[in-house]
Amino acid sequence: MAVPAPPPFDPELAAALSAMAGFIPPSLTLEMLPALRETPISLPEVDLSRDGAVELRELTVPGPAGEPDISLLVLRPAGEPGPVPALYHIHGGGMIMGDARMIPAELVDMIVELKLAIVSVEYRLAPDHPHPAPVEDSYAGLVWTAKHADEIGVDPGRILVAGASAGGGLAAAVALLARDRSGPALIGQMLICPMLDDRNDTVSSHQMAGLGVWDRTSNDTGWTALLGDQRGGPGVSPYAAPARAADLSGLPPAFVDVGSAETFRDEDVAYATGIWQAGGVAELHVWPGGFHGFDMMAPHAAISQAAKAARLDWLRRILSA
Amino acid sequence: MVRELAGRLAALDPDASAAVQVIAYFDRLVEARAGLEAIVRGAAVLAGCPARLVDPGHRVDVRVLGDGRRKDAASPPDPGWLHAPLGLENAVLWLERPGPAGPVHLMILERAAGVARDALERTRGRAASAVDPALVELLLDPAAPEADRLHAARRLRLPGTGVWAVAVAGGPPVIEHPGSRARTPGLGRRAGVGPAGRVADLPASWVAAKTALRLAAEGDEQDPGPRVVRADELGGLLVLAAAVGPDTEPAPDVRALDHAGGAAPWILSTLYAVASEPSLRTAAAALTLHHSTLQDRLTRAEHLLGWNIRQPQGRLRLQLAFALRRLHRHPPD
Repeated sequence: MAVPAPPPFDPELAAALSAMAGFIPPSLTLEMLPALRETPISLPEVDLSRDGAVELRELTVPGPAGEPDISLLVLRPAGEPGPVPALYHIHGGGMIMGDARMIPAELVDMIVELKLAIVSVEYRLAPDHPHPAPVEDSYAGLVWTAKHADEIGVDPGRILVAGASAGGGLAAAVALLARDRSGPALIGQMLICPMLDDRNDTVSSHQMAGLGVWDRTSNDTGWTALLGDQRGGPGVSPYAAPARAADLSGLPPAFVDVGSAETFRDEDVAYATGIWQAGGVAELHVWPGGFHGFDMMAPHAAISQAAKAARLDWLRRILSA
Repeated sequence: MVRELAGRLAALDPDASAAVQVIAYFDRLVEARAGLEAIVRGAAVLAGCPARLVDPGHRVDVRVLGDGRRKDAASPPDPGWLHAPLGLENAVLWLERPGPAGPVHLMILERAAGVARDALERTRGRAASAVDPALVELLLDPAAPEADRLHAARRLRLPGTGVWAVAVAGGPPVIEHPGSRARTPGLGRRAGVGPAGRVADLPASWVAAKTALRLAAEGDEQDPGPRVVRADELGGLLVLAAAVGPDTEPAPDVRALDHAGGAAPWILSTLYAVASEPSLRTAAAALTLHHSTLQDRLTRAEHLLGWNIRQPQGRLRLQLAFALRRLHRHPPD
């Protein structure tokens, strides 16, 4: 297939990418995983407590039936008795990396202003723990949060799921599970550059090969770690790869954002389109020249500021609805 | 897979890798033709403090905080902060932190100022005008219809008046105006500067610039003198230039000067100093010679030349000999 030229990167993002060349190769393979996991993805010095304005608790709660316990990191506005709405957060890292502290900074910044709790789940990672471990851990944490909302000062009727990259894919999957298992009612799903499609065969996935961040080689690495030789085959569950879902009706209002210069562009646009076609509510932002995770890697860029502002704007509307 | 640039770069050490990152960042901004705000933001984020670009002449005042947010300020920058002039009128780039600057901050200032200067020139219509050789050629061609020339001037964003031509040895014609970068003297090449005037006068300015170029010297031992010559300071020498063509026989005084120059390497520069400096004392200073040494040298030079060069008349004759010699060395096209 002749692959058209990729869209150009935004100038500021291109500059940031050049300055960071060497830290983050576009193509990651499983052999690189031990070294990658050793380099902390979230900067350890990041102060999630925001100088004490945010209260942190780490809870151990039951995992999926017959599986080990999981840990939840609960962030609340300090001194706020509640109950407050909760953003249930699932971190990114291609299904193979990352930890529960990796929460988009602009969301943590809003905890006090919006009187919001963030519950971030520490799910098991592939390839050591392939599908369904990551999604079932994530779902178990959500169920616990809704059931025990009063214990953590959360309003169980006001929970949304959110995540970036693999976390966005898992958030979409958790929303599907909640619908199909009659689980917790969600008020929204915030899908930030979500990783949705194990088939890894869209035009954007080909266009961005070898470019930017998380190209089709990296994507293949992540999905194969999760699904093994099932990846791309006929039997993949929509709870592993939400792009596989035949039915996108009955889902909570979705926020989807993605850069135009990244692997996930086409699958993310298709997911929002699928929700509309199923009669649902979705807000889609495609940021021109954005690479994968641009607003987290280059938060200073004008387009990153705009992307974060759009996210918070949606969050405000969802919470005040 | 997500690592913050800010976090990474905040930890920059003043070592080679930091320099490479700073250079890579600004190079890529240039490549992508980023605007002024993006450049100022780059400086702010890389330096970890507010950065500000102030260009009063063009009402540019862009201030960006260390986290990348635009936040303009009404108060003027503190003169104690790190800053670098853009070399473009009064434009200055500021980093809002006190000196002394470490190597990384110096590099950020230098790169950002250079990139901002280019962006200002590009976006504010102050580009050195010699961008499109065909348009420049048209502007300098007296046979071209005036309407075409005025159109070319607009395309080059030239002001209607106060423009002049510059002839550079071995280079294409250049058109300059008060807002263009004064690049001619920095070229290190011989240049002749035509008189300023209206766009319609550019062909005449170009002719004069080419004549001035003939009178510009290499500035070395064999061809001492100014590298950049302004046509409007030449006076009667323009008439003299018209009289010396490629086939004109050199006057005896030019041969005498060549003869003297061949005798010792210092002779021509010594004679030029005497011809151009207001007094023998300042000539000695310019040559970093003791006054008596200069006197000894002049006696020898006068002997080789065959005329007294310490009298006003002799100095004029020497100046004319130098001018004629340059006209012969640099014949018209």
